[in-house]
Amino acid sequence: MTAPLLVAAQPQASFVPDSAGGDFIQLRDVYKSYGEGLVVMDHLSLDMRADDRLVIIGPSGSGKSSLLRVMMGLESIQGGTINFQGQPYIDGNARNQGKPLDVRLQTQVGMVFQHYTLFPHLSVLSNLILAPMKVHGLSKAQATEKARIFLARLGLESKLNAYPSQLSGGQKQRVAIARALMLEPKLMLFDEVTSALDPEMVTEVQNVMMQLAEEKMAMIIVTHDMHFAKNIASRVVFCANGKVVEQGPPAQIFTQPKEPRTREFLEKVLHLG
Amino acid sequence: MNYQFDFHFLTGNFGALWEGLKVTLQLALVSNVEGLILGFGLCLLTLSRWFFIRWPAQLFIEFFRCTPALLQIVWFFYCLPMLFNVFIDPITMGVLALGLNLTAFNAEAYRAGVQAVPREHLDACVALGLRPWQRTLYVILPQAVRTALPVLMTNGISILQQSALVAIVAVADLMYVGKSIATEAYRPLETYSLIALIYFALSLPIAQLVQWLERRQDTALAR
Repeated sequence: MTAPLLVAAQPQASFVPDSAGGDFIQLRDVYKSYGEGLVVMDHLSLDMRADDRLVIIGPSGSGKSSLLRVMMGLESIQGGTINFQGQPYIDGNARNQGKPLDVRLQTQVGMVFQHYTLFPHLSVLSNLILAPMKVHGLSKAQATEKARIFLARLGLESKLNAYPSQLSGGQKQRVAIARALMLEPKLMLFDEVTSALDPEMVTEVQNVMMQLAEEKMAMIIVTHDMHFAKNIASRVVFCANGKVVEQGPPAQIFTQPKEPRTREFLEKVLHLG
Repeated sequence: MNYQFDFHFLTGNFGALWEGLKVTLQLALVSNVEGLILGFGLCLLTLSRWFFIRWPAQLFIEFFRCTPALLQIVWFFYCLPMLFNVFIDPITMGVLALGLNLTAFNAEAYRAGVQAVPREHLDACVALGLRPWQRTLYVILPQAVRTALPVLMTNGISILQQSALVAIVAVADLMYVGKSIATEAYRPLETYSLIALIYFALSLPIAQLVQWLERRQDTALAR
């Protein structure tokens, strides 16, 4: 696959002002807990540039998925602030209880989930055009044209009228990625998108993500696949107990981690893997 | 038994029976439209996160489930006009009573369907920027209808049968017309058998369709 995925969707110019500074996303002192016992984001701070591909790794319960779910507006935070593209995006002390302040910014975030989330009663095409028509006000013809382009680039044009139940797991996740891209997000979130897949289908999904990476899509990826993390990340963030323990380029984190906790974690998962 | 069957007298009454059948179909169809639409609305109310919305909705359902349908119809015909000083034509009152009864039962059927929609689909709706009402209309409702369809259709047939109860309050439906003919001609056996056959012929195809749908859903689940 050499044809770019995003050509029609995103003029390259739109990235320039963002990538100039490191203020694409700024998390400051973000606090989130489920009741008293379980603190999943403990005064967490993190910066991201528009051309960054953050891969978040860490033991389970370390708040990796929570971070994505908060960015998407699926869950709220109880303290701290998040800026997105230089604008206030989420405020833990605001009256809306730490959910996105600006719906427009929220629609610039796309997310793909671990479990299949294609709507089973809709064909692949209808899955792709639903939100562009209802949220962005595209006509059916415009949305269909766009969907065709995305599916063709993913090699799925023959599945246009198929229903999700007729697709393999890998195909479902690729369609789910296309569905998110249809809304021209500035940031893509991937929450363990290959965890539920059979091993032979993992690569086809990861290849699509690699292609997005090459086209400079800003991404935050949660994965347990360290090999993939090494390949796709511009920066690896190791989280534990709701805090960022260590972050850096993949080469550094995977070969010379500074923190003992990072080393301990990597030894465990790499030996298991 | 040396009863002499005689169906000839019925030929003179086909017109009346046809009029009665039209009323019965009208009652059943309009009640079903009412029950299918309001039932989904009521189902959403019972799933509300606010107690003061959930509670009255649940009470409404329990009222219709825990009292006899015949009593509900009689109540709508005699008590509602006394309480609120309104009485629309008998058929409308019948539709109102039957339709609200069906609403309560359909709400329960829809609820099972709504609760079967995976949590992740709701997350995906947020991620796609769909508003809550769009999520309900385009994602939850179609999936809930699919799951609930066999029960909704069974409820629909049973309201066709129950529509016969309005004969008691003198709505001229198929049952009422049959009763009049049977009494006039002193031929209850022939008349009621024919009436039964008509109800049966109306319901059987739908019942068969339900079975077919259930089989299809079972195989879809097994896949």
